[in-house]
Amino acid sequence: MNVMDTAEIYRKLTSIFRDVFDDDSLTIAPELTAAALPEWDSLQHIRLVIAAEREFALKFSASEIGSLENVGEFADLIRRKL
Amino acid sequence: MAEQAQVLTWDDLAEGMAATVDFVVTSAEMRAFAALSGDYNALHHDASFAREKGFDGIVVYGGLIISKISQLIGMKLPGCNAVWMGLSLRFRKPLYVGQQARLEGTITRLSDATRVVGLRIEVRSEGRLLAEGDVEARVVQP
Repeated sequence: MNVMDTAEIYRKLTSIFRDVFDDDSLTIAPELTAAALPEWDSLQHIRLVIAAEREFALKFSASEIGSLENVGEFADLIRRKL
Repeated sequence: MAEQAQVLTWDDLAEGMAATVDFVVTSAEMRAFAALSGDYNALHHDASFAREKGFDGIVVYGGLIISKISQLIGMKLPGCNAVWMGLSLRFRKPLYVGQQARLEGTITRLSDATRVVGLRIEVRSEGRLLAEGDVEARVVQP
């Protein structure tokens, strides 16, 4: 059974966000939304999802991704699927 | 006359699906690519120069090989619904002008959430691996 905790998920998500947005100083928090990051467009959103699928070795459905409101919900989704 | 691109929908795709492009790069294509890219390096046009550098003949442009990958993605797999998103490629051995080669793309990953296809890319000639890499392409359809 996978025992990855929330902190580890956020650590990996931070690395993904920094890579996708090419910003080594970027920090993420549960309440962060796409509206708060001007560079967070539909293409970057796809790259985030693809990178997360690869990093956590899992697959999301379109409905799962479409219903997310912020980073916290994304992290929760990842934790549930691990 | 332009060839027709393959029409595949997301539901047509499956991991393990593959497509190939067989090709031989000609001197005329090399000249055309030089004009297109602005890369007139003698390695790609002067056989004597290429041999001095340790090669067996005129070395095909890496970018020209990548153009064949573009053909595979846009025309065959995934075809006309594809938008190319990314490529990582390593050149392992040179391809020479006039040498028969085969490019093969195999679907290794399908992301339902994003409709992004991951393909493993290999270029071979006479059984030898010349280049290998990975492609990401998104299937965009109504």
